[in-house]
Amino acid sequence: MGGGLLSGIPYTPEQALLTMAMAGVLIVVAVALMRMKRLGTEKEYLYALLKGGVQIFLLALFLTYIFSSPYWYLLIWILLIGMVLVAGRTSAKRASGMPDAGSVTTPAILTGSVVVIVVLALSGAMPMSPQFIIPLSGMVFGNSMTICSLTSERFLREIRLGKDRVESALSLGIPSEIAMDEFGKQAIKAAIMPTIDRLKTLGIIFIPGAMTGLIMAGTDPLVAAEYQMIIYFMITGGGMITAALTIYLMRKKVFTKAEQLAEWV
Amino acid sequence: MNPSDIHIGLKGVKKSYGKKEILRGIDLTVRRGEILSLVGPSGSGKSTLLRCINRLIDIDSGEIRVDGKDIRKIDPVELRRRVVLMPQNSVMFPGTVMENVMTPLKIAGIEGEKRVVNALRDSGVPEELFHRDAEKLSGGEKKRVALARAIALRPEALLLDEPTAGVDPKKVELIERSILDMVKKRRLTVIWVTHDTEQALRVGNRIASIKDGKVVKVGKKDGFEWEGVY
Ligand SMILES: Nc1ncnc2c1ncn2[C@@H]1O[C@H](COP(=O)(O)OP(=O)(O)OP(=O)(O)O)[C@@H](O)[C@H]1O
Ligand SMILES: [Mg+2]
Repeated sequence: MGGGLLSGIPYTPEQALLTMAMAGVLIVVAVALMRMKRLGTEKEYLYALLKGGVQIFLLALFLTYIFSSPYWYLLIWILLIGMVLVAGRTSAKRASGMPDAGSVTTPAILTGSVVVIVVLALSGAMPMSPQFIIPLSGMVFGNSMTICSLTSERFLREIRLGKDRVESALSLGIPSEIAMDEFGKQAIKAAIMPTIDRLKTLGIIFIPGAMTGLIMAGTDPLVAAEYQMIIYFMITGGGMITAALTIYLMRKKVFTKAEQLAEWV
Repeated sequence: MNPSDIHIGLKGVKKSYGKKEILRGIDLTVRRGEILSLVGPSGSGKSTLLRCINRLIDIDSGEIRVDGKDIRKIDPVELRRRVVLMPQNSVMFPGTVMENVMTPLKIAGIEGEKRVVNALRDSGVPEELFHRDAEKLSGGEKKRVALARAIALRPEALLLDEPTAGVDPKKVELIERSILDMVKKRRLTVIWVTHDTEQALRVGNRIASIKDGKVVKVGKKDGFEWEGVY
């Protein structure tokens, strides 16, 4: 029988390679169809396959190494810190024009994620082994990053569109906190609504990712459903913390100490 | 002139945006209870100047004093309640006309429907508009609501940035009247920015004209020389 890590998938890596090669027939089908329709996308498609493939194989090698290393608990720190920094920088690019945007996005992502990871660890939802810590943390950071990007992008857009309104309020002695309140709310809502909408359709339109993976790996569907819900608790809870913190920190950038709109806005 | 007569004083005020110098050393004094008409071509820095006095933006050098006190030493929120700016593009807040006037008051911790109604009346807003959606008013109606919003705060000074621009000529007179009546009644100090030289003469006690970020002329309206102003 299979010697893979996931006992539910009955292949050795060698067998899996053969299976992958056979499934590669689908690549031929896709390329043939692209040719026929003269889409001109074959090259890009093949390049993307190659690039993505190399990336996940490197990831797989890296994970294999960490899983078997006696120093995994040290290596994992490097990985987690790397994740936060990359997530913070990626999000910062979305807050166009904001000076030193990383000083908003990085703490916002970090705080939301850390709270979630601590709760996951204490509740036992995340057993203390790298097989759980790495993918779950990746999911948490990735989610916080998306929320942070959506929030900051939307907030800046609203503020820029509503500049005259904000300044009309400021010029009547309304403090910046109140003058921008509505725009902050709109931005947070816009960032978390997609998740809430997805929650509503859960199980009806699609089987969510973690549940899919667990079922394929042989987990009892009930347990898989429970676990999926835990994941939704964590991405909504962490997402809200990140979104609220993003707005809070951005207020101090968008407005000066003298209750003015900063010039870069 | 007795220094305590000077309500708003500007000395060597400079302001740049990037490399472009917009205000290039403005000296100006406005006396308590007077209306100063401020004229000048488009882009000369009139709006920028009002925004500096209200501290929506900070100046680069020079000083602005209100009641003899450097405005940087006054809490900006307090300053803006005392010296209210009616911006060139006043925007209505969501809600009714009454709510628009009420909001800044409530935030300042002042309750009083009476005060709101009085401000609206003094600004020439007809009663039938009081409960209408402010964002759906006409341009001229909005200008008057913006005026009411400003005076409901009972400021000592008003900075009016083209309060009648885009209003049809018949209504211009109405707005002018209500501002002039109110200013007299409440003894307000006013800086009134306008493009209309006739209006500048009608409403101002004195006229100041700026061009390319400098004051080119200040004087009594009688015998004001318009040459070189535009
Ligand atoms: N935020 C800003 N950033 C860069 N330049 C600005 C900014 N605000 C104003 N300016 C520039 O400053 C100059 C003066 O603008 P200002 O609005 O004060 O002119 P104005 O005299 O009020 O003109 P108008 O009569 O058309 O209202 C203009 O050239 C304008 O482009
Ligand atoms: Mg202007």
